[in-house]
Amino acid sequence: MSSFLNVQGLRKSFGGHLVVLDDINFQMEAGERVVIIGPSGSGKSTLLRCVMGLEKIDKGRIELEGARYIEANPKSKKDNFVDIPVRNKVGMVFQHYTLFPHLTVLGNLILAPMRARGESRSSATERAMQLLDRLGLKSKAGAFPGMLSGGQKQRVAIARALLLDPKIMLFDEVTSALDPELVTEVEGVMLELAEQKMSMMIVTHDMWFAKRIATRVIFSADGRIIEDAPPAKMFTNPSEPRTADFLKKVLHVETIS
Amino acid sequence: MNISAALDFLWDYRLALSIGLGNTLYFTAFGLAFGLAIGFLVSVVRQAGHPVLKVIATTYVEIFRGTPVLIQLFWFFFCLPALLGMELGNVFSTVLTLSLYMGAISSESFRAALKSIGTEQRDACIALGLPARVSVPYVMLPQTVLRAVPTLLSNCVTLFKESALVSAVGMADLMYQGQMIADATARPIEILTATALIYFIIAFSVTRIVSFYERGYLARMRL
Repeated sequence: MSSFLNVQGLRKSFGGHLVVLDDINFQMEAGERVVIIGPSGSGKSTLLRCVMGLEKIDKGRIELEGARYIEANPKSKKDNFVDIPVRNKVGMVFQHYTLFPHLTVLGNLILAPMRARGESRSSATERAMQLLDRLGLKSKAGAFPGMLSGGQKQRVAIARALLLDPKIMLFDEVTSALDPELVTEVEGVMLELAEQKMSMMIVTHDMWFAKRIATRVIFSADGRIIEDAPPAKMFTNPSEPRTADFLKKVLHVETIS
Repeated sequence: MNISAALDFLWDYRLALSIGLGNTLYFTAFGLAFGLAIGFLVSVVRQAGHPVLKVIATTYVEIFRGTPVLIQLFWFFFCLPALLGMELGNVFSTVLTLSLYMGAISSESFRAALKSIGTEQRDACIALGLPARVSVPYVMLPQTVLRAVPTLLSNCVTLFKESALVSAVGMADLMYQGQMIADATARPIEILTATALIYFIIAFSVTRIVSFYERGYLARMRL
């Protein structure tokens, strides 16, 4: 079976002994929105980082649309096998925005299309301005990231990734660093992407948002996938006692219905 | 003391002081140019070079930061030519010493700036599919330079002031000229005060530029 995204036998450790992900097998189809929840240190973010190709993995392989693009290289202690053109179909947004502080908003957006993909400045600028307009950020095109609010920065970061036409977007705790009143503007952009059937993997601590955006929820703990279920089941009637325990702790004052 | 008499007296020596200032600026400028180039290379080597090169680079930096500039000057003026058995020329020895000293102190500034960029920017470059030929010149280098500018400018001020030591090996810089005139005229108060003022005005201007830059550019970008 060839899935849209296929993670096989993924193992990731730091320094060989601290195992963060252990034998992860995970498939998703195009258009799915998989939200990963779980306690801190359960390897949620590391899984996204591995899919993006930011981490050296010990074992396993990752395929996108049937094309292997990351594979552990047992012969080399240093590097994975990486197929960069395939990896470039994956986009990622980080908790701390990671905008380039010395470039304007527009400069952040057009750098990769122009310098790495050979698009002309005028064409990249035109597409960037359209996208910024759609996200309500057109007036900020000439601003430096340092002058923006956290919510604006994160929307720029999303726009920067989208301008490269990714097949799948990875969101690593993108609202965790934001003031509460700025969370909804970022989540709104993600919900809009969901409407357009963008494939997404999302790590979040916001269970309300998870329930709202997910087509599938994964609960992970201790580097393993403990439970994988549709949101309706996961949040009301989880099968695993560990999932129920976790949900009880994080939802102790909230009720999700 | 009569101020206008003092100014008249100083005016008589304007040419000698100007020549001294010219030489000071000359030594400082060459020390800066070579020193900054050395400093940048050394910082890159210490960050990512071969282990043997790293040890050599670190040893060099520690020696030049850990010894008085005066001894460095004496060493390059008297010891090195004796060891090599050849004349190096006074200007060459002066510029060599100042460049190596500037290289050592500026490499630390470059290194701190390189380090402060951090792994998040590297992650962003990978996630955007930027190859090194794009990420180095368009992301890493500009941020390194922007962040290093304030400390580099204060390194420059340090070099400018430390360059007064070259008078001790007989180079006719501002300090040397001031001392000579003071000795010859027996009027150290006027001449040494004026010399100090010249140093101060130049160093202070650069310091002001640093804080202007920090408040303006850097604050705007929140670097």
